[in-house]
Amino acid sequence: MSFDSLLVAGNISASGMSAERLRMEVIANNIANSLSTRGASGGAYRRQDVVFESIMNDQTQGNTGPTSGFGGVRVVDVVDDPSEMPRIHDAGHPDADGSGFVTMPNVSVPIEMVNLMTASRAYEANLKALQSLRQQMEQTLSLIRY
Amino acid sequence: MSITTPRLDLMSRLLDVAAMRHDVIAQNVANINTPGYTTLEVNFEDALRESLANKQDASAAKAEVVEGTGGLPREDGNNVDVDMEMARLQKNSLYFKVYTQIMANELAQYRSAITGR
Repeated sequence: MSFDSLLVAGNISASGMSAERLRMEVIANNIANSLSTRGASGGAYRRQDVVFESIMNDQTQGNTGPTSGFGGVRVVDVVDDPSEMPRIHDAGHPDADGSGFVTMPNVSVPIEMVNLMTASRAYEANLKALQSLRQQMEQTLSLIRY
Repeated sequence: MSITTPRLDLMSRLLDVAAMRHDVIAQNVANINTPGYTTLEVNFEDALRESLANKQDASAAKAEVVEGTGGLPREDGNNVDVDMEMARLQKNSLYFKVYTQIMANELAQYRSAITGR
């Protein structure tokens, strides 16, 4: 048993934290581009979303060691939101079409804010799990003193 | 003659399972926002009770990862309840502390038996 396998729970929490952080980055990008009428793929910016997937390695059920086969979570893809783009009337806008309508990004700032808070709380929960692991490891190591 | 006592063996087994349970809780927390993920739990106490009732060793009891009780499933099929997981995390940490304290106590008795002080 390697020392790494003892700290596998740390890797699980770390994977959760990095996934939530990436989600926060994507949300921040969405908010920053909530009024961008010129996106990377031409046309207005499309809202992006992350796709999470849980990692399960081949599980060794009922073993005595602390290796449970869990790998945490990973972000498999960042996808575009295919929902409809709102159109507003603003004839003076440089990107307005012939009838004076502008296609705006399908980003809704309140939804992004709620997602940001969810991601932030999930990050904190992972951090709490990591802190608990640290405490437990310290307690175990203190047994050497006896 | 074995130098380890049954209690020491039991405590190390319980510590192993507590570490495994921490893994499972960490996995649940890491997958709070994974669509379709369902809460997992470790089932051990029932198996331990059974093996102790049959006068077997604690190592005979198998720890199993099973489907756990979570909250109501959300729209994306995920049923991880953060508050429930945090409560489990705290409880597990407390148990871990209890086991290490008992183990430390046992080891201190060894030391005083060996040194005679």
